[in-house]
Amino acid sequence: MAISRRTRLHIWLRLLLLQASWNFERLQGIGFFYSLLPGLRKLYKKEKLLDVSRKYVGYFNTHVYLAPMVAGAVLKLEEEQAAVVGDQTLEIDNFKEMVAAPYAAIGDALFWGGLRPLAAGVALFFAVKGILWAPLIFILIYNIVPTWFRTVFFVRGYRQGMQSVEFIQQHRLPDWAIHTKETAVVILGGLSAFMVFSQLTQHQLPSWLGMLTLIPMVFLGLVARKGLSTLLLVLITVISIFFIGLFWADVVSLISF
Amino acid sequence: MIVSLLLGALVSLVCGLDRVAILQIMISRPIVAAPLVALILGEPQIGLQIGVMVELLWLARLPVGAAVPPDDTQVAIASSVLAIILGRTLNASGIELLLLCLLVAIPLGKVGQYFDRYARQYNVRLIKQVDLALDRGSLLQAELQHLRGLTSFSLAAIGTYAIVLVGGLLIIPFLWPLLQQPLSYSSAWVQLALPLVGIAVILGTINVSRAITLFCASFCMSFLLMWLV
Repeated sequence: MAISRRTRLHIWLRLLLLQASWNFERLQGIGFFYSLLPGLRKLYKKEKLLDVSRKYVGYFNTHVYLAPMVAGAVLKLEEEQAAVVGDQTLEIDNFKEMVAAPYAAIGDALFWGGLRPLAAGVALFFAVKGILWAPLIFILIYNIVPTWFRTVFFVRGYRQGMQSVEFIQQHRLPDWAIHTKETAVVILGGLSAFMVFSQLTQHQLPSWLGMLTLIPMVFLGLVARKGLSTLLLVLITVISIFFIGLFWADVVSLISF
Repeated sequence: MIVSLLLGALVSLVCGLDRVAILQIMISRPIVAAPLVALILGEPQIGLQIGVMVELLWLARLPVGAAVPPDDTQVAIASSVLAIILGRTLNASGIELLLLCLLVAIPLGKVGQYFDRYARQYNVRLIKQVDLALDRGSLLQAELQHLRGLTSFSLAAIGTYAIVLVGGLLIIPFLWPLLQQPLSYSSAWVQLALPLVGIAVILGTINVSRAITLFCASFCMSFLLMWLV
């Protein structure tokens, strides 16, 4: 029995609540069960449904935007399992475990590590200029790709079942993650230059001073790489600037005196 | 004032849920959340300025696996609300008050990390309830347990917002007369430094070979272009 389009839409909508009960023990486990339940209800009845449900409330964790692909594929496998005689339970469990961790790693690198700083970098150009549309620009730039992943990959997962892994491989997502991160670094370089240049122009200071910004920035980057917390870096930087400001004000008042 | 606080709490709740529990369409990012709450309170530029300063600070801390990053959403929302409310009550304006609110909110926001952790720890209890519901044969009860998780994430969001807000309302009125003048000497540079520190941290942790080379090349090219044009 094929799962209707309406039920699949129901599952897709429930996947938007995947992490509502995120916890340290089973992570997205309960959420994955909650999302698949409308489909499982169509495939199994009574005791069998409860047995299958118990299997899905266990540990599960993947990237939230790639979870629909896993859900689509698992749904297809459950559909086949319900239709044919024979037990595929182990195969479905293995598939779920096999893809969850690599998908999580790909998603973390692509979305959190690459796309998010990229979209933020672009939006901040507008925000620094005081353009109130900047938040909307961020939301638009950021959400195009995740929405595409959530919908197209869910459909592909359901259509191809286990073969959906090949679809991910074809798209060479780890390479895209690296390219996105590189683009983000370039954009953030441009953004830093823009902010520094604007500040110097505003204070009528010589522009070449801006090039010196690279020294503390690279130093802070290297220190952050060693594991020093952002909070500490912020405090050190702010306190240093604060005292330099006070000292400079004293020097200026002494000179004018 | 009460209405402003409540409106802030509403935004804090919606954005706090977007952070982990539902949707993840990134309305929880400071660049969206801060201008949103400030727009509702009638001063969107304040939110935009705070959003610029907070957005990049913890962007390098990825919510990978069981890692819980600092709650920059509530820091951005609460400091925007503080800046707007205190600006009206202290009859103050300008970047100095905004910075003071943010600098008080950032360490207080660290509490948010504990609330967030506690919410996830609390949700472990739901597992037992789900298992029990399935043993009893009630799928509906099992489903409801999942939705109950939203309560703990909502409370964590509101809790962090309240801590930052109450802390700010108690501390800032005392600090403001003392720091208003000294801050004016350095405010513009601190405003510039905060996003740059965030970018530096991203640069140090982004895990791209030649990240520093790429960054420096892009910085120099852009700077030279702006200088020459």
